[in-house]
Amino acid sequence: MAEVGEVIEGCRLPVLRRNQDNEDEWPLAEILSVKDISGRKLFYVHYIDFNKRLDEWVTHDRLDLKKIQFPKKEAKTPTKNGLPGSRPGSPEREVPASAQASGKTLPIPVQITLRFNLPKEREAIPGGEPDQPLSSSSCLQPNHRSTKRKVEVVSPATPVPSETAPASVFPQNGSARRALAAQPGRKRKSNCLGTDEDSQDSSDGIPSAPRMTGSLVSDRSHDDIVTRMKNIECIELGRHRLKPWYFSPYPQELTALPVLYLCEFCLKYGKSLKCLQRHLTKCDLRHPPGNEIYRKGTISFFEIDGRKNKSYSQNLCLLAKCFLDHKTLYYDTDPFLFYVMTEYDCKGFHIVGYFSKEKESTEDYNVACILTLPPYQRRGYGKLLIEFSYELSKVEGKTGTPEKPLSDLGLLSYRSYWSQTILEILMGLKSESGERPQITINEISEITSIKKEDVISTLQYLNLINYYKGQYILTLSEDIVDGHERAMLKRLLRIDSKCLHFTPKDWSKRGKW
Amino acid sequence: MSKLSFRARALDAAKPLPIYRGKDMPDLNDCVSINRAVPQMPTGMEKEEESEHHLQRAISAQQVFREKKESMVIPVPEAESNVIYYNRLYKGEFKQPKQFIHIQPFNLDNEQPDYDMDSEDETLLNRLNRKMEIKPLQFEIMIDRLEKASSNQLVTLQEAKLLLNEDDYLIKAVYDYWVRKRKNCRGPSLIPQIKQEKRDGSTNNDPYVAFRRRTEKMQTRKNRKNDEASYEKMLKLRREFSRAITILEMIKRREKTKRELLHLTLEVVEKRYHLGDYGGEILNEVKINRPEKEIYATPATLHNGNHHKVQECKTKHPHHSSLKEEAPDVVRQKKKYPKKPKAETLITPQQPTTETLPVINKSDIKQYDFHSSDEDEFPQVPSPVSEPEEENDPDGPCAFRRRAGCQYFAPRLDQTNHSNDNSELADLDKLRYRHCLTTLTVPRRCIGFARRRIGRGGRVIMDRISTEHDPVLKQLDPEMLNGFSSSSQTVDFSSNFSWTNASNKHCENRLSLSEILSNIRSCRLQCFQPRLLNLQDSDSEECTSRKPGQTVNNKRVSAASVALLNTSRNGISVTGGITEEQFQTHQQQLVQMQRQQLAQLQQKQQSQHSSQQTHPKAQGSSTSDCMSKTLDSASAHFAASAVVSAPVPTRSEVTKEQSTSHSNINGVVQPSGTSKTLYSTNMALSSSPGISTVQLVRTVGHTTTNHLIPALCTSSPQTLPMNNSCLTNAVHLNNVSVVSPVNVHINTRTSAPSPTALKLATVAASMDRVPKVTPSSAISSIARENHEPERLGLNGIAETTVAMEVT
Repeated sequence: MAEVGEVIEGCRLPVLRRNQDNEDEWPLAEILSVKDISGRKLFYVHYIDFNKRLDEWVTHDRLDLKKIQFPKKEAKTPTKNGLPGSRPGSPEREVPASAQASGKTLPIPVQITLRFNLPKEREAIPGGEPDQPLSSSSCLQPNHRSTKRKVEVVSPATPVPSETAPASVFPQNGSARRALAAQPGRKRKSNCLGTDEDSQDSSDGIPSAPRMTGSLVSDRSHDDIVTRMKNIECIELGRHRLKPWYFSPYPQELTALPVLYLCEFCLKYGKSLKCLQRHLTKCDLRHPPGNEIYRKGTISFFEIDGRKNKSYSQNLCLLAKCFLDHKTLYYDTDPFLFYVMTEYDCKGFHIVGYFSKEKESTEDYNVACILTLPPYQRRGYGKLLIEFSYELSKVEGKTGTPEKPLSDLGLLSYRSYWSQTILEILMGLKSESGERPQITINEISEITSIKKEDVISTLQYLNLINYYKGQYILTLSEDIVDGHERAMLKRLLRIDSKCLHFTPKDWSKRGKW
Repeated sequence: MSKLSFRARALDAAKPLPIYRGKDMPDLNDCVSINRAVPQMPTGMEKEEESEHHLQRAISAQQVFREKKESMVIPVPEAESNVIYYNRLYKGEFKQPKQFIHIQPFNLDNEQPDYDMDSEDETLLNRLNRKMEIKPLQFEIMIDRLEKASSNQLVTLQEAKLLLNEDDYLIKAVYDYWVRKRKNCRGPSLIPQIKQEKRDGSTNNDPYVAFRRRTEKMQTRKNRKNDEASYEKMLKLRREFSRAITILEMIKRREKTKRELLHLTLEVVEKRYHLGDYGGEILNEVKINRPEKEIYATPATLHNGNHHKVQECKTKHPHHSSLKEEAPDVVRQKKKYPKKPKAETLITPQQPTTETLPVINKSDIKQYDFHSSDEDEFPQVPSPVSEPEEENDPDGPCAFRRRAGCQYFAPRLDQTNHSNDNSELADLDKLRYRHCLTTLTVPRRCIGFARRRIGRGGRVIMDRISTEHDPVLKQLDPEMLNGFSSSSQTVDFSSNFSWTNASNKHCENRLSLSEILSNIRSCRLQCFQPRLLNLQDSDSEECTSRKPGQTVNNKRVSAASVALLNTSRNGISVTGGITEEQFQTHQQQLVQMQRQQLAQLQQKQQSQHSSQQTHPKAQGSSTSDCMSKTLDSASAHFAASAVVSAPVPTRSEVTKEQSTSHSNINGVVQPSGTSKTLYSTNMALSSSPGISTVQLVRTVGHTTTNHLIPALCTSSPQTLPMNNSCLTNAVHLNNVSVVSPVNVHINTRTSAPSPTALKLATVAASMDRVPKVTPSSAISSIARENHEPERLGLNGIAETTVAMEVT
C-alpha cells in the first residue's frame, strides 16, 4: 500500500464515486493533478471511461491506495537526477528523453518558464520520494506515448491557482501539474483502435495552430494538461449557477474565484456580485444583441454576427466552452454566425442555448457548435435548436450536417432528432392506389435538409434498412412505431417555420466575413 | 452461414425504398448478413469517447427501450437555478416588443466604462464621500481611463491629471488608490480581459490566449509591389499637398499685404488730394526730408528714371515688329500716350543725388503696380505681344511701372541734354537710340538696323527697321567688323557724344559703306555682332577692372545681346539638347566663376570708397557683389543644374556657348533659387549688365519658368534707362514684355510644357532658406496649369518685387 504522498500525476487507482443512482462505485481513475491546500492534499481525478466532465478534485480518503498503479512507462526513462524539484528543468534534457521514448525527433521548442519536476524520476526512486509537496513546483512532463501527439509533450507552464496563496496565485504557487505523460486510458484506447490518423498527423509536426477554416472545433492538438482540467468552479448566470464541465479561457485571474458572475444578457464576466451589480446599472440589454429572426410563444432566436458583435460572441464562446469539450477558442469569431435561443419572461430574453454556424461552410456544415445550457437540458431545447438549424438549411435550400466530432450528448441528441424526423416522414407516407409507399434517401434528405450520410446512418442505427428480394427495403417494426409515437408525444417544443423571418445572406459576395 | 452467393448491391440513395410496416413485414431472417452491405456510417464522435461508459449505456438503453429512461441518461455536473437575489439584481421588467427585435450592431458602443466597481472600491468611495461627492459611475470612469491609458507601465500622476477631468484632490486620492490596487492585482489589468495573442508567436500554445486573429485570411490578393508603389505615391501626394498648402498660405499673406498697400496708397492719394498736391510737390518735400535717416546714399532716384522713361515713351513711337511672326516689316503705330502732368514738374526738383528709399516709393501710387488687381481685367487672349496693352493700358507699352525695391537711376544729364540740344535730330536719330547696326553669325550677314528684345520663353526677337542705308548695309561684311567689338567695349562714356554725333551725320546723309565702316571703327556707330569666345574670356577681368562709368558696360550689353540675338535666331530652328558633358563643363566653370567673383569683390571693395561719391552707381554694384557673395557654390550648382537639366526643347546652341563664358553667373543662378538673388541680379546687371542680361536670357531659355522673366524685367529698366539711349529701346522692349507679362505668358502657355516649370518651381520651393521665392515660382507654374496665366504671371512679378523689397 502506497502512502498518500506517493500519489502523483499519472497514477491510476480506484476512486470512490457516487453515481446518479446514489450508489457508491469505485471506478478506475487517473490522477491528473495534485494540489495542496493548507496541508490537505487534493487530487484531480479523471474517471477512466467516463466523460471528462465528471472529472473532479477529491480528497485522499476517496482514493483506494491499495490498488494504485504507478505510471510504468516513465520508469524506463533513465533518471538523471534523484532530487526532483530541486533543480531547474532543462529543455535540452527533456527533449531528447521524450524523443527517445517516442522514437522520433521532437521539433518542439520546449517552453519552460518554471522549474520542471519530473515525475518519472520520482518514480525511479519510489521509496525515497520526498515529502516535499509537489506544489512547490510546476511540472511539465514530456509525453511518452509513442503513438500520440507530440503536442502534448510539452505544455507551457500555465499555473493553476491555489487557494493557499490567493494573493499570488499565479506562477508556481500550490500547483502541481503534469502533462499527459501517462494517460494510459487514452493511450490504451488509441492502441486498441489502431492508429488514429489525426493523432499521427499531429505527432509528426511542430504544434501548429489549428486550421483556420472550419469551426471552432478543437483538433486536440492543443490538448494539454491545462485544458484538460476545469478551471472555473462555478458560474452564476441569471437565476442559475452552473458547474462548468471543461476548461474555458476566461481571464486567468478569474479562475481562482469560487464563483464567476456573468451578466445574463451581455454575458460579460465579473469577479464579484458587486461588480455584476455595478455592471447591471450600466448594461441595458435585455436580450442578446442581435436581430430576432424567430419568435413563437416565449421562444425566440437571435442572430449575431461574430464579426460585428465581437464582445458578445466572445463572451458567448467563453461560456459555451465551459460545456463543450471539442471546441477551441483559438481563433476569433469572425467567420461565424451565432443563433441564440432565448426564453422570454418579464425580465427579458433569457439565453437557453445557442448554435454557431459558419457563414460559409465548405463541408456542408450547418452547425459548428451547439449547446443547451445545463439548466435547460433534457427538456427538448436541444432538439429545438437542432430543428431550427435544419429550418435555416431548408430556407437556404441546402442539406447540412453538424460539424464533427460530436460529443456524446451531441450524438444522442442528433440521433434522436434524425430518427424522429425521418420516422415522421416515413410514417406520414400513405400508400397510393394500393401500392406500397416508397421513398428514396435523396428525397428524405431533401425534405429534411439532413445530409444523405446522416439519413443513411440513422436508418442503419434504427435498423430500418433491410435487404429483401434483391432490393433494399425500409421496415417499420411495431416497437419502432410505438417508440416514436411515445417520443413525439413528449416532444412539444417544435419549430414553426412560419415564425421564421430569415433571409440567408450570400457571404461569399460580401468578402470574407 | 450465409447461403447467399451474390453480393448485395450498394445502397443507392436515388433508388426508391419500399416501406414495409407491421404485418406486412417480411421474414427478415435471411437479411441479417446482408445488412453488412450497407456501409457502416461513422457516428461522428471521437473514438475514445464513443466507448465511454455512460454513452454506451445510454445508446443501448435507447435501442432497447426506444425512448429515454431517466436512469440511462448521461450524468452531468449539476446546475442550480435558485439564485435568490435574482430579482434584486435584475431590476425592472422588460416588455416584449410586438415587433421582432432589430438591433444596430454598432449602437452598442456606448460610453459606459468597462470597469465595474467592486466592494473594495465601494469602501474607498464611502470614505471619499465624507469629504467630497463622488458617484460610483464617476469613479468607474476614472479607473477605466487610467486602466486603458496604461499598459504595462502605469500612467503617472501627471498623465492622470490630464486624463481625468476632476478635482485635483480627488484625482490624487483615486490615483493613489488605483496604483495600490493595481500592484496587488493578479491580472494584467483591473478590467479582466481575455489574454491577447502576441505577435511573436510565443502565445501560440497558451491555452488562455483566445480569439486569435486569422491573419492568413486577411491577406488580400493585391501583390506587395503594387502596395508599395501606391504607398509611395500616397507619400508623394501628401508631400505635394503640404507644399501646396504652404504656397497658398504665402499667397494669402502676400495678397493681404497688397491690399494693405492699396489702402495705404489710396490714403496717400486722398491726403494729397485734400492738400491740393496735384503736382506732387508736397510728396516730394516729404520724401526729400527722409534721406537724413538713410544709412547710405542711393545713387539714383526713382523719379528721374521714371521721367526719363516717360519722356522717351512720349517722344518716340516704338515700332514693334517681330521676326517671329514672320512679319518683320509690320510696324505698329502706338497710341499717343498722355503725358502725366506730374512727370513734367518733377524733373526739375529731382537731382541725381536725390536719394530715395524704396519704402517711400510705395506711397507713390502713380508708379505703383497693383498687379493682380490691374491685370485681372486683362482678357485672356493669346495675341501678339502688345495688343492687350494697347487696349487696356492708357500709357501703352511705354508706360513705366515702377518696381518696388528697384533702384532707378537718374538720367544722365549730359545725355539728355545733349539729345535735347540736338533738336534738329529727326526721328531717325531717335530710332537709332534703339536700333543698332546688327549682324548675324549665321547666316553671316549684316541685317541693318535692328533692335532686340526678349520674346516669350526668353527667345530673342529682332525688330528690324528699314532705313535708307539698308542697301548699303546689306553689303557690309560682318568680318569687317570683327575687330571692333572688342575695341568698342573699351570706349569710355565720353564716346557717347561722338557716337551720337556720328549717328546724326549718319542719319542725315546716306552714307557709303566705307563711311559706315569708318564710323564703326571710330566707334561713332554702334554695331552689334556676335561676340567670339575668346573675347568673353576677358569679361571677368574686365569686370574686375571695371570702372564706374557705365558706358563700357552698356556697350557690352548691346554687343552681347546682339550676339545672343543672332545665334538664338538660328537656334530657334536648331534643337540643341544639353549633353552631360556640357553640363559638367558648365559646372566646373561655375566653380571658377565663383572664385573669380570673390577676387572681384575684394578689389571692388577697395575701390569702393573712392568710387562711391563720384560714381554713385558703384555703390549698387558693390552691394550687389556683396549680395551675390551670399550665394554659396552649392546653391549655384544647384540652381544651375536645375536650369540646365530642365528639358528645353528648342534650346539654342548659343546657350551652350554662353554657358562657357565666364560671366557673372549669379545673375543666372539666383533668380531660380533665392529671393536675395533677385536683388543681386539687378545689381549684377547694373554692374556688368551685358553678361547678366545674356545670362538671364539663357536661363529663361525657351520653356523654363517664366517667373524668371520678371526678374530680368525688373532689373532691366533700372539698369538701362540711365545708360546709353540706344539701349533704352532694348530696355523699353524688355519692359514691354515685362509689364505685360500677360501676353508673354499666354504665348508661353499655349506651347510651353508646364512640367518643366513645375519641376523648377518645386525645386525652388524645396529650398528652405529661400521661402520668399517659393510662392512666385510655384505660382507661376501653377498658373500655367490653371490657365490663369496673366494674373499669375503677374503675381510672379509681384512676388519678386516684394522679395526684393525685403532684401
